[in-house]
Amino acid sequence: MSNGAGGPSGIITRTYKSGSIIYFEGDKSEYIYILKAGKVFLTTIKLDTGEEYKEEVRQGEFFGVKSALGKYPREDTAQTMGNTTVLVLTPADFERLVLKNANVVKKMLRVFSNQLRRIVKMERSVLGETEIVNPDAELFKIGEYYYKMGVEKHAQYAYKRYMEYYPDGEHASLAMKRVRAIDAGEPAPPDIGGHDTGPAAAPPKQAAGEADFSFDEPDQSKDMIDFDDSAHEDEAPAKGSSASSSSLSSEMDDFFADTKNPGLDDLGIDDAAASNSPRELNESAEASFAKGNFSMALDLYQKIISLNKTTGPDEKKLYEKAHFDAGRCYMEMGKPKEALDFMSKVLRNFTGSPYVKAAIFHIGMIFESVSQKEKAITYYNKVLNMSPKDKLNSDALTKIKHLQGK
Amino acid sequence: MAMALDERFFEKFGVEYAPNEIIFCEWEPGNEFYFIQSGNVRIVKFIQNREKNLSVLTDGDVFGEMAILEEQPRSATAIAMDHVKLLKFHRDNFDTLMSGNPQLAYKLLVIFSKRIYDAKRRLMILLLEEPQLKVMDVLVMLAEQDPHLDLQNEISLQVTAQDVARWAGLTEDDAQKELTHLGRTDKIEMFGDKIVVRKIREFQRLVASRRKSMYQ
Repeated sequence: MSNGAGGPSGIITRTYKSGSIIYFEGDKSEYIYILKAGKVFLTTIKLDTGEEYKEEVRQGEFFGVKSALGKYPREDTAQTMGNTTVLVLTPADFERLVLKNANVVKKMLRVFSNQLRRIVKMERSVLGETEIVNPDAELFKIGEYYYKMGVEKHAQYAYKRYMEYYPDGEHASLAMKRVRAIDAGEPAPPDIGGHDTGPAAAPPKQAAGEADFSFDEPDQSKDMIDFDDSAHEDEAPAKGSSASSSSLSSEMDDFFADTKNPGLDDLGIDDAAASNSPRELNESAEASFAKGNFSMALDLYQKIISLNKTTGPDEKKLYEKAHFDAGRCYMEMGKPKEALDFMSKVLRNFTGSPYVKAAIFHIGMIFESVSQKEKAITYYNKVLNMSPKDKLNSDALTKIKHLQGK
Repeated sequence: MAMALDERFFEKFGVEYAPNEIIFCEWEPGNEFYFIQSGNVRIVKFIQNREKNLSVLTDGDVFGEMAILEEQPRSATAIAMDHVKLLKFHRDNFDTLMSGNPQLAYKLLVIFSKRIYDAKRRLMILLLEEPQLKVMDVLVMLAEQDPHLDLQNEISLQVTAQDVARWAGLTEDDAQKELTHLGRTDKIEMFGDKIVVRKIREFQRLVASRRKSMYQ
């Protein structure tokens, strides 16, 4: 190895003979290299299988970047093949160099973020975090914690966010009650749930007609949606002390009336939001969905729902479709609970709608996605027996066979 | 802060928070990441129904960056400690933003480098088979993370049994059982909020050799 005097900005050039080690796995070093001539191989041991994995650096490429920037030991061994020349950079050199070329940073950022995403995913799967936590319930719990601790401002934040994101959530009416209580200067009630949202803090049951879904209970008939009763139950007055869902939502509208709707402006979809007809919103939503931007699509579908235009047949159809597609967005976003919520609304509220059958099929898919095979089969079976027979029936049959085959 | 940002940039993305104001809350949907222009931000997480401080961030730091990668709820809460000025960026603007601001992109590159290593390191613990080794490796990881420790000697780690359980992917009972066992053989000594390890190098060697033989 020979140390040559540096390049233009004092960057050092080094030449290695064939078979030299530039660095070993486990070395601590802040240097970053660029391969100028010759060949370099990076050898790593795969985390999950212990296999050795070799990767060739191409000329002009950087190596040793991650460990140098992250200030941790080398994770690979870099060895040359044939006479090889590299440029040696300090992190400061590297920074200066890449700042002049935004594309290099962008490209690296893409590679790094893909790696990070993959590792985090792996970590989750090893931890078995496929089980469903309900972000909504957890968010509410945080509000309860802060309220109990006397940090009203933080409690207020959590409750308001809850109402904003989960206006139909099971704690929505209680969250609103809490917000009002805090506004009125009331201290936290003594029975507020500290350790979990136990019976004391649990909200009164949802308005009648809300099907009781659960992912973790064994298959029970009450988990099934009762198609025939849905219509009249929907009109039944709410039981108990909780507000019915419709009055709840209008109260919520009042609540948010004075604040601008957060989310929309911040999401940078002003243009889409400006066109207000359900048809235009639907078009934008479909475009977003097709592009894989599910959160934006969801926002737009929810906008259609909030417009609540159902007078004309077209508007009615778009209104129903928005519920169904909002559910699909949630499925894509990996939020089965919310997805289920929307799909079940389609069944409950739009009896006879063309979307009912597809919604039932999707409920099957949701249960399948959380490994509730029995329930999934039950729903696919419903689809199988519905007429007119179309592609969904045969898809349902395929699904059932697949699930039973396992 | 060396970041060259023109006025228009701040006008467009700047947000300010008052002392003790929540910036975002654990479990709420997260679509934005933040860059701290000035002030301090406390990152806390709810663990066993207690608020636990994870870190304090300051000028030039970035947080909420996982929102760039995936649509997951926030994994921690961010609270302004004083008057805080932030730049708030939506995931969807990411590409445009990075093209125009290599400085910010570089910052993220450094952060992602660290995160990748940390995540890999945690994964290595989880991939061990025996609970005993997992617990040991958690202690090794924590020791490695603190550059001020002298690993040749007895070290003291600020960590509870609950923390160990979380890192090791074990139930609290199981982690406690292993820790008690290590305590009985005088490899470690447990205190309420810290664990003293007699010879961390020994754990390091043991874990390394077991990890090697795992695949053979």
